[in-house]
Amino acid sequence: MVKFDLDDKVLEVAEGTTIFQAALQAGLSIPHFCYHPAFAPEGSCRMCLVEIEGLPKLELSCSTVVREGMKVKTRSEKVVEARRSVLEFLLAEHPLDCPICDKAGECKLQDYYEDYGLYQSAFAEFKEKREKKVPLGKTQVLDRERCVLCTRCTRFLDQVTRTGELGIFERGNRSEVGIYDQTPVDNNYSGCLSEICPVGAITDTDFRFKTRAWFLEPGDSICPHCGRGCNITIEHVPGFPRVPGSRRVYRIKSRPNAEVNGHWMCDVGRYNYAFLDTGRQERIMMKDRGWGVEPAWDSVIRFLAAQLTSLVSGEARGRVGVMASAHLTNEELFLMKRMFLQDMGIRKIFLIDPREGAPDGFLLTAERVPNTRGATEIGLKCGLPDLTGLAGGLDLLILFGTDLFERFEPDETKALLETVGIKVLFTSRQGPGNDAMDIVLPATPAAEKAGSFTNLKGRVQSFVPVRTACGEALAEWIVLVRLAVELKLDPGFYEGLTNVEDIRAALARDVLFFGPRS
Amino acid sequence: MSAAFSPDLLKKIEALAGRYPHKRAALLPVLHLVQKEFGFISPDAEQAVAGLLDIKPIQVREVVTFYTMFFRRPVGRFHIQVCTNLSCSLLGGEQLLAHLEEQLRLKPGETSPDGKFTLSSVECLGACEQSPCLMVNENLYGNLDKDRLAELLEGLN
Amino acid sequence: MADMILTQNFGLESLKTLKGYTALGGYRAAAKALKEMTPAQVLEEVKKSGLRGRGGAGFPAGLKWSFVPAKTDKRIYLCINADEGEPGTFKDRFIMSRNPHAVIEGAVITSYAVGIHTAYVYIRGEYETVARVLEEAIGEAYGGGYLGRGILGTDFFLELTLHRGAGSYICGEETALLDSLEGKRGWPRLKPPFPAVVGLFGSPTVINNVETMANIPAIILHGSDHFRQVGLPRDSGTRLFGVSGPVRKPGLYELPVGVSLRELIFEHAGGLKDGRTLKAVIPGGLSAPVLTAAEVDIALDLDSLARAGSMLGSAAVIVIDEETPILAVLKKVTGFFAHESCGQCTPCRLGTAWMDKVVTRMEEGHGERGDLDTLLRLAAGIKGRTLCPMGDAAALPVLALVQKFRPELEAGLT
Repeated sequence: MVKFDLDDKVLEVAEGTTIFQAALQAGLSIPHFCYHPAFAPEGSCRMCLVEIEGLPKLELSCSTVVREGMKVKTRSEKVVEARRSVLEFLLAEHPLDCPICDKAGECKLQDYYEDYGLYQSAFAEFKEKREKKVPLGKTQVLDRERCVLCTRCTRFLDQVTRTGELGIFERGNRSEVGIYDQTPVDNNYSGCLSEICPVGAITDTDFRFKTRAWFLEPGDSICPHCGRGCNITIEHVPGFPRVPGSRRVYRIKSRPNAEVNGHWMCDVGRYNYAFLDTGRQERIMMKDRGWGVEPAWDSVIRFLAAQLTSLVSGEARGRVGVMASAHLTNEELFLMKRMFLQDMGIRKIFLIDPREGAPDGFLLTAERVPNTRGATEIGLKCGLPDLTGLAGGLDLLILFGTDLFERFEPDETKALLETVGIKVLFTSRQGPGNDAMDIVLPATPAAEKAGSFTNLKGRVQSFVPVRTACGEALAEWIVLVRLAVELKLDPGFYEGLTNVEDIRAALARDVLFFGPRS
Repeated sequence: MSAAFSPDLLKKIEALAGRYPHKRAALLPVLHLVQKEFGFISPDAEQAVAGLLDIKPIQVREVVTFYTMFFRRPVGRFHIQVCTNLSCSLLGGEQLLAHLEEQLRLKPGETSPDGKFTLSSVECLGACEQSPCLMVNENLYGNLDKDRLAELLEGLN
Repeated sequence: MADMILTQNFGLESLKTLKGYTALGGYRAAAKALKEMTPAQVLEEVKKSGLRGRGGAGFPAGLKWSFVPAKTDKRIYLCINADEGEPGTFKDRFIMSRNPHAVIEGAVITSYAVGIHTAYVYIRGEYETVARVLEEAIGEAYGGGYLGRGILGTDFFLELTLHRGAGSYICGEETALLDSLEGKRGWPRLKPPFPAVVGLFGSPTVINNVETMANIPAIILHGSDHFRQVGLPRDSGTRLFGVSGPVRKPGLYELPVGVSLRELIFEHAGGLKDGRTLKAVIPGGLSAPVLTAAEVDIALDLDSLARAGSMLGSAAVIVIDEETPILAVLKKVTGFFAHESCGQCTPCRLGTAWMDKVVTRMEEGHGERGDLDTLLRLAAGIKGRTLCPMGDAAALPVLALVQKFRPELEAGLT
């Protein structure tokens, strides 16, 4: 360990820690552009210069290793003047684009200018005119006037994706970032570029001109699109009063986690969020049962309870089928096993094998569902049910998610469903399969519920709702608990499950894998 | 693309690449060779060189655009490069350039329509004891005045 | 003259040939080193000589060699910096054209001292004809057993390869040179790590200037004491001073370190020609801060010039006469550095461009009152803040020209 003085405060850090990292550990982020925790220090932006007692010149905090007894000043007059100077240099050629630039509100140049700038520009010359809309691929666009040549983008593509699509051409003030003719940036991590660009040089076509950063509410979650379980932040607008349809998710950002996804996320996860807002199943739907009144959760749950009671009391429990999904949380899958298998003795529980995709050799896994491992550990085996075998043998089929329709041919599923007495579907989305159901129950996606997923490495990651549920939707776990209570299954147990943490605790007691790690 | 490179050129490139522990290090010498052969570096040449040195075409273009001696378009048969740095300017280098602009009817950076001359203004050529000087292709000429320049131009035919 | 270490036989055509070189005593130093001395002894001798780098930085050569880790299983490289891009400088061109074997012999001795078996000469692209002469000499050296395997009948071996640059001043900076030699753009590297530890291809590397190399044989042959008899205690030997500008005898002058600038200009170079008067002198290439005519009574050595706020640099003396407007000189400075900036770091990339825009506007007659202070401020913002020394090279000359010739520059402003 090394002791040193940072702005008159004594800090102790591990040997080999840079001043920048040490400051960060102490909660101070020294201004920077080119530095990024995923890469070795670059030292080219010159923004992170600090004053070290005894040294004549200011030194880079990003690459200077802390030595015992060092005295560092991060806000002395010399340092502030140096920062002002770097900003002035950058702003000299920077276009006055803030009003039309997507990065406004989350731009390092703006942030530092606020802290260190606020001066009258002394640049009385003509700014270089450069291309402002250079397509870098399908998802990213480059504005060369805004670029500060921090080289984060080129280094990302060289060191992380190892695809090297971006290069720097020319030299001096004519330097520019660019692609090579017919080789655009279309790898599965292109979205990371606009995220790491510290200014509005690289912007995302998906986000371009859609909203302002300061309208966005961030919420932590876990990506539900594959087995990696990348940590994400969902940025959404909760909605403006008197503006119908203004509630929506605008983008997904990666959230650093050294054990799971580093600093990154792939495009599959990043750009697939439209399902959160469009095509949502918002209302409970029941085919004509002569109810006359809009069905509510209570009535539906009572109805289901009644059906289950009549069927599972005798041998007819063999006539109940449940098709679960690896989209469900650990808690939900646990509840299902407990209720249906253990408490009701229903044997026909299937977890449909989801269709795989090609893994990309980095984060994206072959399995395109978030909780296969969770399901396996809980004891629900994955596999394809024999639809023909099931046909004619089910009075009640409860589907969680639409994997059945995605995995089998339409005529196969139709052939089965035609023979099923009552078909119930829990889903967050509208779809052609929904019409074949007798009851469609609006469920919530991971973004709108609490729960946890187990990624393919066996890491359990929990999350809480990023926003309130859509319409009447309820998390599956809530409905399952209420159903179990209505069914009077194992009375003491289900009444005690008032929140997700309670279910998690029960899961930890029941299944060794989820128990406390020693 | 590599098919456009003669077997002799390919052999020379291979020899150059062999002088370094990593083939990429041969890039500048190889580009000089290719430029000598074709007069400039085309996108096809970039891709061919990239393939031969196990690097990406973009890395070749990064280098081609960084260094002033590599051209992406053909230059004239006689590339006249006039030094306009300090020592030469102190002894009439600017006038020399102006004179050439007039004679050749070219501005620095331009090539004559018949492809004979390209005129460039360049930085210090390292021959300041002979200021003012210029280079025609790889040859240096110093101690130039109007008469000697006229002689020189005449000789370029 | 007995004082001339490098140039005494420059007039002889045969000097560049192996036959001519050896006839004049060439490669005797290499033989002495390889056969009579250990590598450590050779290194010690060069250290004792106090030979300071002749490229511009003036770092003691022997000391630099000793930074190479004693125990390493990595290949160690030697790079000879023949990029000679500093405006006003032409000494290395002379050495390589007239006395190429001195450079080769220096390389052999250096490599022997440090344990190097692979050396490159990085020569600027524009020196194509010079490269041919050097290439020929290298070929002869191989043929004569002075390069390659079993040098001079010993078991020492050295491969020396000529490598041409392609037009970039910044590639004269040692770490940019390394990147360029690796086939990349010439972007300087962060130091530490220093090239002696992590250099070419990630291996320990020694980088020395051509003139520094050319001095090695004499140091080994005649001993460090002999070398130290010329010049100054802290800066020994001779320098090849290049004089250019409106003097009667522009050219190369090998003189002891510490010779007076006045003597160099007015005695050796014959003073200004055509009845012109001296206005200013740039003593060490375009990166060196200017000296006024009143400041020419100064010793030309690294320390004296540094103390005077300038630098000896590449010992390229550019003489400026009264008729030359200082604004024109200023424009050459800002134009050159804006053109040669590699673009990697913020202050240099933007600062050199901005300064050049201001000075260009001044030259076009649209200069304003505040422009000089702007230039001073910009230069101060670049100085000491950049990734490599080129920032200072771009900033310090501007500061000196504006500070020392302010009234003249102000006269042209509105």
